[in-house]
Amino acid sequence: MEKKTEHYDVVIVGGGPGGMTAALYAGRARLKTLLIEKSLIGGMATYTSEVENYPGFPEPIDGTELMKSFDKQFRRFGVNVKLTDVREIRVDCCTRTVSTFRTDYVAKAVVIATGNKSRLTGAKNEDKFLNDKGISFCATCDAARNTGKRIMVIGSGDAAIEEGTFLTKFASEVIVSVMHDEGIMDANKVAQEKALANPKMKFMWNTVVESFEGEEELKQVVLKNIKTGELIPMDVDTCFLFIGYVPNTKMFEGLIDMTSRGYIKTNEDMETSCTGIFAVGDCRDKTLRQIATAVGDGAVAGYMAEKYVEEMDYVQKEIFEAKGLTMAFVYNAIDAVDREFLSRAEKAQELHKGKLGLRRIDIYKSDRIACRLDYSKTPSLIFMQDGKVIENVTDLSAIENKIAEMVAKHG
Amino acid sequence: MAEKSLDCLGEACPIPLVKAQKEMERMAVNDVLIVNVDHSCAMKNLPDWARSAGHAVEIEEVGEGEWDIIIQKLK
Ligand SMILES: Cc1cc2nc3c(=O)[nH]c(=O)nc-3n(C[C@H](O)[C@H](O)[C@H](O)COP(=O)(O)OP(=O)(O)OC[C@H]3O[C@@H](n4cnc5c(N)ncnc54)[C@H](O)[C@@H]3O)c2cc1C
Repeated sequence: MEKKTEHYDVVIVGGGPGGMTAALYAGRARLKTLLIEKSLIGGMATYTSEVENYPGFPEPIDGTELMKSFDKQFRRFGVNVKLTDVREIRVDCCTRTVSTFRTDYVAKAVVIATGNKSRLTGAKNEDKFLNDKGISFCATCDAARNTGKRIMVIGSGDAAIEEGTFLTKFASEVIVSVMHDEGIMDANKVAQEKALANPKMKFMWNTVVESFEGEEELKQVVLKNIKTGELIPMDVDTCFLFIGYVPNTKMFEGLIDMTSRGYIKTNEDMETSCTGIFAVGDCRDKTLRQIATAVGDGAVAGYMAEKYVEEMDYVQKEIFEAKGLTMAFVYNAIDAVDREFLSRAEKAQELHKGKLGLRRIDIYKSDRIACRLDYSKTPSLIFMQDGKVIENVTDLSAIENKIAEMVAKHG
Repeated sequence: MAEKSLDCLGEACPIPLVKAQKEMERMAVNDVLIVNVDHSCAMKNLPDWARSAGHAVEIEEVGEGEWDIIIQKLK
């Protein structure tokens, strides 16, 4: 099967709040924009039924509902959407290729917004009960079918305690397995107080999961007391894991810089170590992973992608579509020797006014333009005829003579 | 290459996933299964399961809140 190729200004990978906001900004800037999502648009925010801290909604709002509004809004700006998984991003000098099973999307700029996935316990038999066989990561999705049942929650952070409390509206009993000593939880104080006062919640302190047991479906979770080593089997219908998250960034290893835990490093303009690739939201190295911060990141990346595409288009027009003879002077602005050669080139050009153009290409901040000219060092002088490189000169000792010679030959 | 459709409209989790898993077992390599769903929870577990089982998955939006999950059996 032949792979198709499609061209875009911006391709956004991941359709959570971060990706959707980047899409909104890029689409509204009239860039040809594509958003690719592998499952449900809305990302992790659709895993909670009560968002209380997203500004603009004074009453708690269901995460899925909130994400539906995000979805409607960004699509107003002509963004294309594909529901499939991205398998790889490839980079060459001026394009980034986002590759899916059937299609290669060639883009000028890419925004990575792949978020996190839930961490597993690593306990025995865990994989037997994933995929809806009794282990769940989503309280909203699985609350109703646990009506009147006994369930377990693993973890003590915000997600564990808040989602556990929500589940008491359905389940008859919610057992919370907490690794820490009695009374110690990682969740915010308000959530802790609510949970401790909730008669349906029962805490198992100092415990971790030893194993998951059952035939086809989960029947029992065996906890282990980490102080005494005691094994505690508990019959439950569903076990919810909220023990943290790991970033969906494995496929970008080697392509962009990340922390040891796999979070993508960016500057405050959301630029990664690879020019033209931006990263936003939960997959990025940052302090607070929330909808509000993902939205902020997305706005910045959408705007920066617009600036980047504008620059690429300008370069295309001014250098690669320029008529006649031009020279591109590739230099590093902080290098005194480079600057000296530049002023010699400028003077020489004066002598041949109207016969050849001069484009100054500074690589100090980034060599994303210069690399399209295949430069090997600075300073170099690259002669172009009708947008094509005809000679690349790196020995500039006789720069004036060289320019005169090229004008005589091609001008 | 056979193509089969599975109507899961109105069905909540885990039914679409369970039905799709059964159907996939009966299918041959390269066959395509199209699962029509309208519960968003199926969009969270079905595509991920199919991919982790090694198949190719694409999703078409049929309407607001309704999807065709297209799974090509690859092994
Ligand atoms: C239970 C729970 C409760 C929460 N409660 C709150 C709350 O009350 N308030 C709040 O502000 N935040 C809350 N959060 C956190 C919030 O959901 C996240 O911070 C936010 O969703 C991050 O947005 P994002 O766009 O960076 O990533 P995500 O929302 O994780 O979206 C990433 C998307 O990328 C897709 N993707 C990944 N890999 C690929 C690929 N290879 N190809 C295509 N698509 C891909 C994923 O399917 C996903 O849809 C909660 C999270 C959870 C789990």
